[in-house]
Parts: sequence; structure tokens; C-alpha cells
Amino acid sequence: MTSVPLPSSEHAAGPSDTGPEQEVALSVRDLNFHYGSHHALHGISLDFPARCVTAMIGPSGCGKSTLLRVFNKIYDLYPGQRATGEVLFDGRNILEDSINLDMLRARIGMVFQKPTPFPMSIYDNIAFGVRLHEKLSRTEMDERVQDVLTRVALWNEVRDRLHAPATGLSGGQQQRLCIARSIATRPEVLLLDEPTSALDPISTARIEELLDELKEEFTIAIVTHNMQQAARCADRVAFFYLGRLVEVDTADRIFTNPRQKQTQDYITGRFG
Amino acid sequence: MTEPVTSPTSSHEVGKADSTPDLWRPGRKAMRRQMLDYVATVASVAAGSILLLVLVSILWTLLSRGLVGISWATLTRTMGPPGSGGGLANAIIGSLLQTGLALLMAAPVGLMCGIYLSEYGRNGNHFASVVRFVADMLMSAPSILIGLFIYQLLVVPFGHFSGFSGAVALAVLALPLIVRTTEDMLRLVPTAMREAGAALGAARWRVIIFLCLRSARKGVMTGILLALARMGGETAPLLFTSLGNQTMSMDMTRPMASLPIAIYQYAGASYEDWVQLAWTGALLVTFGVLLINITVRLSSRH
Repeated sequence: MTSVPLPSSEHAAGPSDTGPEQEVALSVRDLNFHYGSHHALHGISLDFPARCVTAMIGPSGCGKSTLLRVFNKIYDLYPGQRATGEVLFDGRNILEDSINLDMLRARIGMVFQKPTPFPMSIYDNIAFGVRLHEKLSRTEMDERVQDVLTRVALWNEVRDRLHAPATGLSGGQQQRLCIARSIATRPEVLLLDEPTSALDPISTARIEELLDELKEEFTIAIVTHNMQQAARCADRVAFFYLGRLVEVDTADRIFTNPRQKQTQDYITGRFG
Repeated sequence: MTEPVTSPTSSHEVGKADSTPDLWRPGRKAMRRQMLDYVATVASVAAGSILLLVLVSILWTLLSRGLVGISWATLTRTMGPPGSGGGLANAIIGSLLQTGLALLMAAPVGLMCGIYLSEYGRNGNHFASVVRFVADMLMSAPSILIGLFIYQLLVVPFGHFSGFSGAVALAVLALPLIVRTTEDMLRLVPTAMREAGAALGAARWRVIIFLCLRSARKGVMTGILLALARMGGETAPLLFTSLGNQTMSMDMTRPMASLPIAIYQYAGASYEDWVQLAWTGALLVTFGVLLINITVRLSSRH
């Protein structure tokens, strides 16, 4: 399998794809990732243009979630997991040990596959993250909570029970709450790890609509197993296979005219 | 379409119905299985009833013998010589003081130790596996040994028995219980919760206290209450430590009375009023423990 010629990463993530004037939020250079002795990502180089949705697709175990978890260094919770190479964000390589993890995670938010409401009220779920980084007055906090809940289209559903436990919400509402919680700390980048895979089609559609609005302000990186979702939401799509980046291009190109045969086979459902 | 299909459509089906056995009647093997199932069910219910019978007969005996002794005098007067109309006030106060102090010592240490084991001492941490193993051993250690250990440690050097040493012995008894339930309850908190907290930029201690411990608070509280119930009924750790005291004493540095010790002293006595006090004391201890258990059940339900 590995003998299949892969495009050089420079080519895959060349400036011609994004346009020379496009601002880049995250820039990955020759990234390698290890789970203990398992080499999970091989020499990934990839740019994430600012205020765009970049989707990462590929079969299970291809490394797309692993890559996402590098961007906020959440892998750092687990000894034995390590990343080498460069991930440039705001002029610094975030893989350096000198990076303050709490500051990094305030600037790069993450939403997980399963909704993870905290064991507290809806209001406090959002205030929890904000209080870590800012000191707001009561009214400022109220405004912030209302603002983010409105943006995730949850305000009208929960305005009367802000102080009820968040665990009482439905799965789709919980996931929108988690997105609200992430954007409440005003990050620059939002990482989404299969955010709709545990949700029903209606909740999924709502979150996809939400992404469209959020990308005006945030740079979004989304991992998805759902090809239609990538086609619907993403500006750019990166296809991963066996820990390598096979191809990255605009969503249109990937889904209509991919350069690599492996990409073609995957998106047409011939494997994966 | 409208023609009714009443007549047999083929002779083959009629023949089949005649020659094959009735499909609704169980065969011999199926009958045996059903019988076995029935016997096993009856046996299990019987075993369960025996357990219930034991508990009910204990409670009944305690109620019928102890209830008559419960009076204002029993609850307010201290122990005294036979025939003097003594009560259990000093034993009740002593039990409350010693278990209370023991809980104050065991709960914080147990809580922190449980947090350490669950949050910092996972997979392959040698120190943590030793701590876990020792906690398990301590949990099954005979309580009289714990009493003797504290006797050597806190009674012999000071030359006299004390309520404080009794409380320490009870704390040692409760510690492993609190440690292991705290650890187990924290382990039930999904990893996703820890990652979600970290992903917001929360420091680890904050994630542990405000997210993990908060999610697990019911289970952790249950563990602490059950440890309290366990301590309240223990006699052996107190025999060599707080010894017992006939008079009212709230001085932790002096020997101190407690309900289990009072039961131990009075139950075998040949004076009728002392035996009555033992029954009453047993009733108080049992219903105290029962009350804690019921509280636990009710609080974990909601």
C-alpha cells in the first residue's frame, strides 16, 4: 500500500490552492506524530486558510483526528504521545514546550464527537470557560452568554431555563451548547472532531448551517466521516490515508475532479 | 381476490399436519429446561428470603427488646453502677465525637488519595499500584489489628487510653473505603469530560475539582457516608484505644465512652438494667447505621 506514489506535500498544499492573497491561520510543516511506538502521522504539511472551513476526510484510523488533536495539543494529556515538526500559529511553533497550553487552548477551541456538557447549569457551562480567561461583570457575562447562545440558535430554546442542568438538553442541543461554550472564549480557530456523528439529521443540518455562519469569524477545521457533509460545508478538503496526506484542494475539485486515484476511489465509495 | 381460501390448497400440507408432532407442545428436553428454570428460581428466592429473614429477625429482636429502654433518662443520663438508673448519654456523645473526628481525618485524606489514584496514578504508575494494593489490603484487615496498631502507636507512648486514639483507629478503618470508592467513582467520569475541560484552557486541578469531582459527587458522598456507617458500628478498634468511660467526658485525651463499647460491656452483665441498656444501645447503633444507609439510597436515586 505504501508503495503507491504520493504527491509531495508542497504540491498538495501549494500556494496555488489557496490563492496568494489568502491569509493562513494554521500552517503545518513536516509533522510527524507517534502514539508510543506507533507512527501515526507521516510528514504532514498543510495550510489552513483563515476564515475558511477545511474538512479532513479519510477512512477510520487514517490520522485525521490525530492531526486535529495536535492543534490544541490535547494529546499532551497522555504520556507517550508526541508530535515533531512545526505547526505555525500566529508566528509561533505551537509544538514548542514553551507554549502555554491554557493560552493556546483559549485561542484554539475544540468540539468533540460526543456532546460533553459539564455537570452544571446551561449558563455556567458557558461561563466556566469564559471565567478562566476573562474577568467579566455580571451583566457582561449575561450578555456574553446570550450572545453565544443566540449565535448557535439555542437562545430561544433555553432562555427560560438558563439555570437548569445542561444534561437535561437533547443531544443536538447539548452539542450546540458545546459549540457555544467553545466560541465564548473568543478563539481564533475552532476544531471540530466529527461533531455531528452522534446526532440526528435535523440537529446535524442545524450545526452545518451554523458552521456557515461561524466561518465568517473563525477558522474552522472539521473532521468528518460524512462525505456529503464535507461537500456541503467545506471550502477546502484534505484527504488522508494511512497517516499520510494524499491530497488537499478546494471542495469542488476534490469531489468532482481529484488528482489522486486513491481520493477518487474513496469519495466514490470504492473503499474506506 | 375476493374468493375465500377455505379449502386446503394441497394434500401435502394436510399430510404434514397429521404426521408431525404438535409444534406447540414442548419436547422432553425443553420440559427439563423449564423445570430446571423453575427449581432455580425457587431456590434463589428462598436464599433471598433467608437473608431477609435474618435481617428482619435482628431488627425485630432489637425493637422488641430495645424499644422499651428508650426514655428521656436513657438518652440524658450517663452510665452508672447497676441499679442506679444510669443511661447512655456519655456513650452516645462519645460515639458521635469519635466518629465525627475520625471522619474529619479520613475524608480529606481519602478524597485526595482517591483523586491521586484516579487522575495521576493510572496505567502502569508503580507507586499508585502499590497504594491501591495497600488500600485493598487495609480494607480487609481485621479491625482488631488496627486497634492494636493504634494502641502501640498512640496509647503506649502516652501511657493512657484516649478518645483521640479511638478516632484515629476508626479513621484508619474508614480511609481505604473512602479511597477506593472515590477512585472508582472518578474513573466512571468519561475521558471526554477531562478533554473538554482541558480544551477550554482549564488547568488540570480545575478540571478535576470542578468537572470530574462534581460529576462524581454523588458516588463520592455515598462512599463517605458508608464509611461513616461502618465506623459507627465498630467495637474492636476502640477496645484498645478509647477503652470506654463510665462518666461523661468530652476530653479527647482521656478515655472515652462509645455505644459499641457500652454494648460490649453491658450485654454480658448479670444486672438486668445493664442488659437492658445494652439492648437499647444496640438499637440506637443499628438504626443510626440503617438511617445512613437509607439516606445513601435515597440520595443516589435522585
